[in-house]
Amino acid sequence: MYDVVIIGKGPAGTSSSLYTIRANLKTLVIGKDDSAIRKAGKIDNYFGFSNTISGEFLLQEGEKQASRLGVEILDDEVISVEKDDFFKVMTARETYVSKAVLLATGQPQVKAKLENLAEFEGKGVSYCTTCDGFFYNNLKVGVLGFKDYAIHEAVELETYTKDITIYTNGRELLLSDKFKDQAGRFKVNSKPLLKLDGGDFLQRIFFNDGTSEDIEGLFVAYDSASSLDFARKLGIVADGNSIVVDKYQQTNLDGLFAAGDCTGSFKQISTAVGQGAMAGRKIIEYVRSL
Amino acid sequence: MTVKVYSTPTCPYCSMAKKYLDSKNIQYQDVDVSKDRSAASEMVNKSGQRGVPVLDIDGNIVIGFDKDRIDSLFF
Repeated sequence: MYDVVIIGKGPAGTSSSLYTIRANLKTLVIGKDDSAIRKAGKIDNYFGFSNTISGEFLLQEGEKQASRLGVEILDDEVISVEKDDFFKVMTARETYVSKAVLLATGQPQVKAKLENLAEFEGKGVSYCTTCDGFFYNNLKVGVLGFKDYAIHEAVELETYTKDITIYTNGRELLLSDKFKDQAGRFKVNSKPLLKLDGGDFLQRIFFNDGTSEDIEGLFVAYDSASSLDFARKLGIVADGNSIVVDKYQQTNLDGLFAAGDCTGSFKQISTAVGQGAMAGRKIIEYVRSL
Repeated sequence: MTVKVYSTPTCPYCSMAKKYLDSKNIQYQDVDVSKDRSAASEMVNKSGQRGVPVLDIDGNIVIGFDKDRIDSLFF
């Protein structure tokens, strides 16, 4: 069991790990090579460097620093986070149990472009299977997505209905071995999507080629799970696209913290690093209080 | 006034709504729609959508933890 699992290995996550590891907390950082600052070729406003630096350089230095201090860093993608007595953080390969979790996942993913998606939210379109699955008992549903996260969501839906189609919107399924096996259970439709249609509630999904299919529910699980997806499942408060935290970076769920861009603040390396440090300190206090 | 709150256990806004009603000493019937199928249908019929919480305050339907609307119906 870990004392803390940090999801995201950008400035916020890595900064936090420097604090937790130095307080002797068993620390695991799980993140993808997907940080927003990878795109920053020239950074001049981050304190401490007399010359212009790149985001890539900062990330690498941060990782080396954390590793040197004993932080375990895993290059992987988190599919889901659950809380029982402790937190269970799942990647495609393994489940990690931890006393505390820090969400440092950065800006939420770009939404899938599908006409009328927003219009049918709550009326057939949902972003959370565990929250809304029961409304679709024995109904015909789809999961919009093409990666491990989409398959994970489809599996969650099986409790409620057997009629599940994965709509990849023109993409190839991009799956790890564990999810490739599970994907075989579902119908997969790779046709590019055009729009959703219906009356008061969702009734049909239209493809670019003009054809359409009946559908009663569509669960959006596009690309990878974001902090918002974890938020919905865990029942923590989010404000639009941001996780709501107090001044100590705590969410409304004990042991769950958030820092950096995912909290929707002034999205800068400087603030992410600071929030990571605040979170780190509170995480230490929290774990010691258990 | 008769108040019915349609909620699910994992929904944070449901907790907030119920806590708010408690803080104002307002009595309400709490219905878990994730377990009660007919209540779920009832909620969907009343509110025209599938999101929680839904509050039925003497027939007035409030979708989400809409504090202002709740206040206007009581005070």
